[in-house]
Amino acid sequence: MRVKGLPTPVLPAVLPIAGAIGVFGVVYGAAARPLLGGPLTVASSVVVFSGAAQFTMVGLLAEGASSLAVLWAVAVLSLRHLALGAAIRSGMPDSRSRRAGAAWFVIDETVGLALARPDESHTVLLRAGIACYLAWIAGTVVGVAGAAAVGLEALAAAVFPVLFVGLASLMARNLDLVARTSAAATLTLVLLLAWPGLGGLAPVVAAIAVSAAGRR
Amino acid sequence: MDVALVAAAAVVTYGSRAAAIVFLPPPTGKMLTFIERLPAPLFAGLAVFALVGDAAAWPEPPALCAAAAALAVAPRRSLAVTLAAGLAAYLLGTVLW
Repeated sequence: MRVKGLPTPVLPAVLPIAGAIGVFGVVYGAAARPLLGGPLTVASSVVVFSGAAQFTMVGLLAEGASSLAVLWAVAVLSLRHLALGAAIRSGMPDSRSRRAGAAWFVIDETVGLALARPDESHTVLLRAGIACYLAWIAGTVVGVAGAAAVGLEALAAAVFPVLFVGLASLMARNLDLVARTSAAATLTLVLLLAWPGLGGLAPVVAAIAVSAAGRR
Repeated sequence: MDVALVAAAAVVTYGSRAAAIVFLPPPTGKMLTFIERLPAPLFAGLAVFALVGDAAAWPEPPALCAAAAALAVAPRRSLAVTLAAGLAAYLLGTVLW
């Protein structure tokens, strides 16, 4: 059954998301180049493909953090991939090598789109993933090349909460899920206020807590 | 050293993506119920984290306007409408503040 909000074909839904990711890529490229140099900045987007991890890495490096501290922060931010991967697992092909290929494109946005089309989740994941991946690299290249990121950073930062609200609304298909979703948002805020050091763990902890609560 | 760090970050990131998809079987029973519940709350938590950051700081007014508009149209359950509303509210917010 198709969930409202994801038109056929996939591309119209993916384009605005890929656009936002591309803009964020420009910001990343401009921010990372002074620290990593142009080639390594682009290479990081090619081999990591995670805005959260890459921005965190660059931010911590700028503050003089050790490599271990950077890797720990990346690992914490990556924890949510476990949840996203588990959520989409049943829609993946039987072939392990195909699943390994699909895993490359597991990011918040592509998984959200794929879950909205459970009958075609693998195809959606791949198509959305390729579009977002190319947009991320292209944006990084543009940023490295010297494109001004003034004003874009604030816009990009504002777009991602909007995207996540949109993805949450697609997934919250009944009152129970709406309640759990609202609870998770509240709990995340409480966790961040009480333990700022939790950082990227807070939404994962909140989501696990509200998803595990209650009867089947 | 930076090259090694980027490579390590790539391994960690891909490893986390592949772990559940490649090495675990599809969930069943109560685990399936739990997994099916997970995405919506996770995205909601990520929205909050993206908005307020590590220190749970009050967001800039345009970003707050964008998020509020997204929430207002969320019952429409349309990604396109949500993005459009959020962007429009952001632009309005930059004008007003």
